[in-house]
Amino acid sequence: MNESLLRRRDVLFGAGALSLAHLAGCGGSPNPKVAAPDARQPAPSTKPPPGLVLAYFGAFGVDETMMREGLAAALSRGADRADLYFEHKVSTWLALEDGEVNRAYTDVTLGVGVRAIKGDQTGYGYTEELTIDAIRRAGQTAAAVASGPSRSGPISFRVSALPNRYPARIPWETVRADQRLPILSRIDERIRSADSRIKKVRASFRDEHGAILLVDSEGRVFEDVIPSTLLYVSCTAEDKGRRETNGYNVAARAGFEFYTEERLARIVKEAVARTVVLFEATPAPLGEMPVVLAAGASGILLHEAIGHGMEADFNRKNTSIYSDRIGKPIAKDIVSIVDDGTIEFARGAINVDDEGNPPEKTLLVDRGTLATYLHDSISAKHYGVKSTGSGRRESFRHAPMPRMRATYMLPGPHEEEEIIRSVKKGIYCSNFTNGQVQIGAGDFTFYVKNGYLIENGKLTRPITDVNLIGNGPKVLERVDMVANELVFDEGGWTCGKNGQSVPVSLGMPTVRVSEMTVGGRKA
Amino acid sequence: MSTADLLEAARSAMLLAKKHGAAEAAATASRSRDVETTWRDGKLEKVSDATSRSLSLALFVDGKYGSMSTSDLRPEALDRFVQDAVALVRSLAKDPHRKLPDPALYAGRTTEDLEIFDPSIAELTTEARLLRAKAMEEGARSVPGAERILSVTTAVYDSTGAYARVASNGFEGSYQTSSITAEAEVSVKDDDGRRPEDYAYASVRMAGDLPDPAAIGREATERALARLRAKKIGSGTKTVLVEARAARGLLRHLLGPLGGGALQQKESFLEGKLDAAVASKTLTLTDEPLLKRGQASRPFDSEGIVAKPRTIFEKGTLRSFFLDVYYASKLGMAPTTGRSSNLVVAPGKKSPAALMKDVKDGVLVTSFLGGNSNSTTGVFSLGFSGFRIANGEKKEPIAEMNLSGNHLDLWKRLVAVGDDLFVYSSMRSPSLLFEGVSIAGK
Repeated sequence: MNESLLRRRDVLFGAGALSLAHLAGCGGSPNPKVAAPDARQPAPSTKPPPGLVLAYFGAFGVDETMMREGLAAALSRGADRADLYFEHKVSTWLALEDGEVNRAYTDVTLGVGVRAIKGDQTGYGYTEELTIDAIRRAGQTAAAVASGPSRSGPISFRVSALPNRYPARIPWETVRADQRLPILSRIDERIRSADSRIKKVRASFRDEHGAILLVDSEGRVFEDVIPSTLLYVSCTAEDKGRRETNGYNVAARAGFEFYTEERLARIVKEAVARTVVLFEATPAPLGEMPVVLAAGASGILLHEAIGHGMEADFNRKNTSIYSDRIGKPIAKDIVSIVDDGTIEFARGAINVDDEGNPPEKTLLVDRGTLATYLHDSISAKHYGVKSTGSGRRESFRHAPMPRMRATYMLPGPHEEEEIIRSVKKGIYCSNFTNGQVQIGAGDFTFYVKNGYLIENGKLTRPITDVNLIGNGPKVLERVDMVANELVFDEGGWTCGKNGQSVPVSLGMPTVRVSEMTVGGRKA
Repeated sequence: MSTADLLEAARSAMLLAKKHGAAEAAATASRSRDVETTWRDGKLEKVSDATSRSLSLALFVDGKYGSMSTSDLRPEALDRFVQDAVALVRSLAKDPHRKLPDPALYAGRTTEDLEIFDPSIAELTTEARLLRAKAMEEGARSVPGAERILSVTTAVYDSTGAYARVASNGFEGSYQTSSITAEAEVSVKDDDGRRPEDYAYASVRMAGDLPDPAAIGREATERALARLRAKKIGSGTKTVLVEARAARGLLRHLLGPLGGGALQQKESFLEGKLDAAVASKTLTLTDEPLLKRGQASRPFDSEGIVAKPRTIFEKGTLRSFFLDVYYASKLGMAPTTGRSSNLVVAPGKKSPAALMKDVKDGVLVTSFLGGNSNSTTGVFSLGFSGFRIANGEKKEPIAEMNLSGNHLDLWKRLVAVGDDLFVYSSMRSPSLLFEGVSIAGK
């Protein structure tokens, strides 16, 4: 165990940065975290128990007795409430390198987490064995957070219907390897033929299918089937002895139909364009200056500058720079910021959060005024409000906490062209790899992979590899122009907090920040 | 935790893979128990305790390669999963570079005890963990200025694990590990509404090596209080002293480009630099898998290759890459290991305070914040916070700052290293002193 467990690292990675992270482990062998296409669940063994039909987990032997026993164990020492979180996920990862799809990795995750809650306190246990004995043991571990007489569990269970924001038209479990492979090969061929300077192409394709089952001590039962996919391409080009690497990635909660001809064409076009433009790049400038953030992935600004700071656990602990600022103006009235779990097919979409609450479209900032924190059930109870459906967890091995879903700014009154024209000397940023924030001090950064210098109102030379740094509330105050078109980024963003990673989405209209520190190399 | 049953599980999984058509296979089985005890502002915040297991397989089928892992160990599910994984591998392209390590690379395993497993950690009681957590909080609140504290969170994480690997060309090995980490995080109130926070921690293999918990708490508060009224200073070219604990934030960017994957894919600014001077003579960096009690010590690596200490940089000259069997074959080189273990920067003779004495105009970096490094070109740009240094003295705290450059230039500017090796990490570095680095602020 190393630094990974340090608790305050609130980081956001694009799929590109993730791939670099796996290189940083040295060796470039596939990150042992992904799995087999056709690893189906075992055939249903018994007839469903009377009264409760679990469409997915019934086949794993999960029934009312198991649920009852698990909750009873969790409540055995007087916890206020408890829940069980079952998870099954089959991941398949295929990768192309040096012109061939020559490696596959498959992974199966199966297990259940048991949580007991007493006030703000959490007890947690989990097991990979879906047996009554194992779940009871995990429940007893969780129960230890309380010390009192046992509390009774639910009298009856009811399965609740959920909206489906990510139906897979072609579910991954029905897709054969010979359907997946040509996607990677075609991307490789097209990238190589698009520009002869491209010498190396790496592409990887990951898909996941599975489901979660959430059962709580009020007797609520939710089953959510989740398909997801991510395709990542990187290319290295060579020109007159200079080398540059860049790439593109797309992700969604969707089935195989996600890979339309149009999307594949865009992947190729963007991967090539973002790489070869770097040959023209000039070192980025250094110091404070106006920054224009392009529509799309620039939502990374919101994720870092305000999103994490609005997660209610930090505010409950009084450790966020936004603690005690609800109802106060923090930005110009052209700024409204939303965190939304309801966007169909988005990587950050959820049908239900990981403690059984419906996701909302939550207004974090309403026309410049700080409106609502992002709540899980613990913070909602603490503040006496309704959960915003933001309780999320990485897997059955983790207890939920307030997390972002899809974070974006609503469109404003300006034209993109007018925003660029307004800057005499500054930079324009369009593509990012990663970001990070210190919740309490409010300082945050994000790393720009593609951008341009703005000189006298025009985009001039490309720039790359520059970190931008600012302080959340100060930067939000300085957002002084917001364009009228909101764009969602289709990339595979992953947010890390307290050692847990969850998929998220970002969106943004073009905005101007009147001043930020740019960490370039040329004065 | 015994490893006998894990070895048996790995053997059967390897045989299962062969039964379903793999020509060669390697299997690993592991189990770990992880306990987290978090204490906040005078009460228990969270306890989590679980034992977890997993199985993974590397499959070599008809000259093709794939791998798999699972936590679903029900025999019928596992059988089906292996069968499906083999079928998937059959659909791939042949890859002549995929093979198990030459058994010669397995030979010479250390017989010494690496002291990475302390069975007493498995016996820790909740009360013992809570005592440590409470003592850290008491320490944190005992520091002058503690009235500014908004919140103290302390935590004890402890873990015991066992790992076994079996390969069809004759490898068998297993070992047990343990670790315990004690950590304190403190948030304090600044005058302008900011809530600066900082932390202190210790992470060790043997429970007896853990320092006094109260001292960890005190350090966290002292660090957080030192962040009060931090501000941005002007941009410029300055001498930069990187605190030992933060040095990993710079050094880690040297690792990716040393890997076989990056080299073979032309994504490494260190390609072709073997035996060339990449850093100043001040930098000697070794990979030390056999370090007693090391955070990343191991008798063999994840492919079974026997662990040997290696010099990566010798007085600034690059001596070795991280090459697993696959990329070594693709590059036509001999495999070393694909994964680094404990990376140790040879310390110098001066204390960090003595290093600072010689700095006229500079900054002390105590923490990096975000940023990244381009492994193809070596260009980097990293956020940081720390302190200004003037005339040999640590001055006011600074924040919202950035440091940038190119690694091919930066490491030549390393003029001195401290005597203060940070030991609670697999990256054991002392303080690093660089001259003439570009920083951005106002």
